[in-house]
Amino acid sequence: MFATADAGLAGAAGVATPPLNSFRHYRHLTLELAISQFKLRYTQSVLGYLWSLIKPAMIFAITYFIFVDLFKINDGTKFYGLQVLLGVVVWTFFAECTSSSMAAIASNGGLIRKAYFPRSILVIAASLSALFTFLINLVIVFVIAVALHQIDIGLRIVMVIPLLLELYLLAFGISLFLSALFVQFHDVSHLWEVLMQLLFYASGIMFSLTYVLQRLHLALEVGAKKPQTPHLVWIVQVMAANPIMQTIEDLRHALLTPVAPWTELVVSGHLAAVHQYAALNAAWEVPVPFLVVILAVTGGALTFRSRARSFAENL
Amino acid sequence: MANHDVAIRVENLSKRFRIPLDRSATLKHRLTHWRSAARYRTLEALLDVSFEVPAGQFVGIIGHNGSGKSTLLKILSRIYRPDAGMVTIEGKVSPFLELGVGFNPELTARENIFLSGAILGLGRGEIHQRLDEIIAFAELEQFVDHKLKNFSSGMEVRLAFSLAIQAHAEILMMDEVLAVGDAAFQQKCFDIFARYKREGRTVVLVTHELGAVTTYCDRALLLDHGRLVADGDTADVTGQYRRAIGLAADGSLAATEVERWGSRDVVLTGVRILDQRGVEDRNPPTGGFVRVELGYRILSDAVTDFVCVLWLMRADGLILSESALPVSQYARVGESQRGAGGTIRFDIAQLPLLDGAYSVDVEIQERRGTGVYDHLKHAINFRVIDRRERHGAIELGGTWSVVPTDQTAGSPEPFVSPQWVGPDERPGLSRL
Repeated sequence: MFATADAGLAGAAGVATPPLNSFRHYRHLTLELAISQFKLRYTQSVLGYLWSLIKPAMIFAITYFIFVDLFKINDGTKFYGLQVLLGVVVWTFFAECTSSSMAAIASNGGLIRKAYFPRSILVIAASLSALFTFLINLVIVFVIAVALHQIDIGLRIVMVIPLLLELYLLAFGISLFLSALFVQFHDVSHLWEVLMQLLFYASGIMFSLTYVLQRLHLALEVGAKKPQTPHLVWIVQVMAANPIMQTIEDLRHALLTPVAPWTELVVSGHLAAVHQYAALNAAWEVPVPFLVVILAVTGGALTFRSRARSFAENL
Repeated sequence: MANHDVAIRVENLSKRFRIPLDRSATLKHRLTHWRSAARYRTLEALLDVSFEVPAGQFVGIIGHNGSGKSTLLKILSRIYRPDAGMVTIEGKVSPFLELGVGFNPELTARENIFLSGAILGLGRGEIHQRLDEIIAFAELEQFVDHKLKNFSSGMEVRLAFSLAIQAHAEILMMDEVLAVGDAAFQQKCFDIFARYKREGRTVVLVTHELGAVTTYCDRALLLDHGRLVADGDTADVTGQYRRAIGLAADGSLAATEVERWGSRDVVLTGVRILDQRGVEDRNPPTGGFVRVELGYRILSDAVTDFVCVLWLMRADGLILSESALPVSQYARVGESQRGAGGTIRFDIAQLPLLDGAYSVDVEIQERRGTGVYDHLKHAINFRVIDRRERHGAIELGGTWSVVPTDQTAGSPEPFVSPQWVGPDERPGLSRL
């Protein structure tokens, strides 16, 4: 929580109030806001909450139809359809979390001008409400996977928790950044829409990193001939830096099948040495997605904090 | 809570607002006007204000609109940050300034109680315990699971109030709570004020109701253009305020001779512009609900009936509309009731004005229109905010449509003057 810095500005202008345990105090408000936003999102629709299931299902159907049925793209991995579905569900979370959180401050002007509470609560609530939907969808994907496919459940599954945390932190950091800027510059919503389009393709929703590597003939075997398209290496490097791609790939590994390798092994080329996997052979890039997440959270928090004090006046 | 403690200490508090002279809300504007980025008008909302409120004191803050009352309250509630000075608060402050903060029209009354209760700092368990009490006090037992948007404004205010009094803060900040609701509601407010006084809570009340200040407050502060100009006994301070704004002893509005004329058998005592929730709002949005509320007082035995007429004008003086109290409501005044008063309301469901400054002239005249009791020019000025920033003054509210010519019907002309369509033809434009 970033908004307790009001007190104790000795010497400077400020308002000093008795200290209170801000987390405990505001936890309840955060939950209440998240719950009501969750309810509001599906109000006045006949199918209500079902939309949160239908939407990813429809995106999945379109993606699957275009890439698998029409263009016959299939990366050859096991449960390709399931892997695409998982990618779509993760993407839907990221897209909904960032776009609904972006307006969290601007659309609650009345509340901000009339009541005091840490402003970040509004963004936390909006992102949590997207997270509820995501978790339910994830469980459904898992149930489908268990029921229809003989997926191989292993100890890898514990990795799901840190991966979800990483994904949430990324979305939350970006949400803080966007919501703070959106108060004054509504342009960010348009810019973000375009960026999301780009990110969609850079997140490996309908193909794995390995597949891209194979298509580009970057390195099929260790010590094999040079990549056929060396000028395209940067595309793969950008994709490998994308935490969404990394979490989707790792979730596939952890949740669905060990055949889809950990991203780390693909990027570093460690796996290629053993199994003749296509690999990027760029060990230096392994920590990049995590650095991106840290950057998003700190950058978002700092931006939000410096702008939060004037929200009430600017709205 | 010891009564000698200081609950609120304000030292040399200043706050200024920078009002941008041009709208720089878009990135494009920032990019194309980057060199002239610092075009602001500075408004000193508060200037070097200092005072102390002992615990358990009931303080009223008065002053004309724009004097800094609400800004001060918002700084005390930590909503605004001061530019200079220090505020020290000892005790739990209620985080609400107005009634019904956080209410969402799409949620039910019950859901709103939980949400708005959370903003007031009430836990889920606490609300569960008091739910019946809150609903009973608001007299809404049969509407608990109805959406708030289907409530009348009176029901909404009752719900907001019965929830607000549940806040167990030691220090309460209230901004114009009396401005909403009818006489019965005001009485409820006064009952609660009396209870707060008995319980020894510290209350800071911003209001225009000078009567309430003298009755309930232990002390009054008068703000004028951001400065604290009077602090002390309520009768003295309200008296000073009345003189300053020229409120005559009869309670009517003051104005110079040029702007005001009439026999004064009936006088206007106040003019306000309210929003849907009954809160004063001088910046109504295009398409929003607006209520013009006029206070009147009858000062002569000779008066039996009267008419009220209102003219709406653009800032440049162009009269946009005239509206008068309908015939069916003339008789409301009835027999002579010298000293009696009341309010006249003029509701506009969807304000058809675009962005700009407007003002209202009001007149109270004899029923037959033969004599003027009280005419007030520029009784109130307001500024309409149109989020879509369209040009002009009036929202026409029309609908647009595009009808392409049907090529298969063999008509190359996209438009010809209207033709008669035979009875055997399908009506419509397809034949054109």
